[in-house]
Amino acid sequence: MKDTNMQNPKISAKNVQVYYGDNHAIKDVNVEIADKTVTAFIGPSGCGKSTFLRCLNRMNDTIDICRVTGEIKIDDEDIYDVKVDPVQLRAKVGMVFQKPNPFPKSIYDNVAYGPKIHGLARNKAELDEIVEKALRKAALWNEAKDRLDSPGTGLSGGQQQRLCIARAIATAPEVLLMDEPCSALDPIATAQVEELIDELRQSYSVVIVTHSMQQAARVSQKTAFFHLGNLVEYDDTTKIFTNPDDPRTESYISGRIG
Amino acid sequence: MANHISSAYDRDLEAIQTLVVKMGGMVESAILLASQSLETRDVDLAEKVRADDKKIDALEMQINEEAARVIALRAPVSKDLRSILTVLRIAASLERIGDYAKNMAKRTSTLVDMPAIAGSDAALRRMAREVSLMLKDMLDAYLRGDAVMAEDVRQRDQEVDQMYNALFREFLTFMMEDPRNITACMHLHFMAKNVERMGDLVTNMAEQVIYQVTGEMPEEARPKGDKTAYLSEL
Repeated sequence: MKDTNMQNPKISAKNVQVYYGDNHAIKDVNVEIADKTVTAFIGPSGCGKSTFLRCLNRMNDTIDICRVTGEIKIDDEDIYDVKVDPVQLRAKVGMVFQKPNPFPKSIYDNVAYGPKIHGLARNKAELDEIVEKALRKAALWNEAKDRLDSPGTGLSGGQQQRLCIARAIATAPEVLLMDEPCSALDPIATAQVEELIDELRQSYSVVIVTHSMQQAARVSQKTAFFHLGNLVEYDDTTKIFTNPDDPRTESYISGRIG
Repeated sequence: MANHISSAYDRDLEAIQTLVVKMGGMVESAILLASQSLETRDVDLAEKVRADDKKIDALEMQINEEAARVIALRAPVSKDLRSILTVLRIAASLERIGDYAKNMAKRTSTLVDMPAIAGSDAALRRMAREVSLMLKDMLDAYLRGDAVMAEDVRQRDQEVDQMYNALFREFLTFMMEDPRNITACMHLHFMAKNVERMGDLVTNMAEQVIYQVTGEMPEEARPKGDKTAYLSEL
């Protein structure tokens, strides 16, 4: 695979191996992810893209049999260092999941929860401001401002997902991980979330796992193709979708048997 | 290249490719018949070339519609996308060549009543034959996905250009010798220019084949042999 070293990467992974018990799920992945860029991870089911995404904020720590080796640095800081508090790390590296999973609380509390536990607001006025800013950034403010006290679970699917995005960005993260954020949404809600991802790019490094080739092509600037635990090809999205180097990438993106 | 998981997608792409090759065959024969009708002064044959051009135009429409349908329904990427773009370009170039052949046939109908210009009919026919061979090889290269063969076709355009240069000088000479030759020579010169342009279009298509296969347009400047623009005197 060609050298993809970049200047000042936001995330830098070297020789990353992940095992679930005896299962070698990620095989020696080296990748550098840029700041203020949307990077898409694509590949068939079970190729390791979600596993690798979850390494970036140590979500795999919660799985007993999961073992991660190698080095992952964010801003030159090793996130697997013993001194790193995973809870602090996850405030810096936010995550949005496949299924919208708002807390069974009000819309306001969903967004205010993170800033509260991380002590990002000194008083109610500051908290109000953080909540409004996050909801505005997530393009949900206009729809939610008159019903901040109603339960988050009462929103539509697309609104719930934008609420989860608002919740993730309320702690002022630097990296936003998204694991198939649109797979449970209709085309309109998907377009809204994609538009949002494009705006979030101005402030964050966004990494998105998606099964939709078209979505990867639409929202990302860089694309990484995973296959059987290997990072097969990582390049500019335009290159991956017009003239990829590896025949496995070509087969996968054009809907052929790999 | 392996097949698509969706076999209907493969069938769609193959169906379009078949249409392109069919159109190519019709254009190939239009070139040959147009030059033949000139040499044999066969007005009926010239008339047939003119009439058949409608079929070529209709085929281009059909290819455009099929290609648009595949783009809309399949959202092709990478090689598939390049193959659809190539189809559109090739169909457009073939249609232009068809028009040139039709124009030659029109002039043939006019030329039958004029005295022949010694040797020029046969020379034009040789030139047309060379272009039709280039077209045939280009279509083979397209079908096989053979970029080397396409590059070879691209290089051969120089020969056509040289034939055109020679004819250009010849027509000038005839016109200077006897002004009564001017009308016929003007028509013949337009025909030669038509064939020369056909060669350029075949070269364009060959480059498109190279793009489809490799993902990149050939960088090397294409050989240019038409020097008549710089010709101020014989």
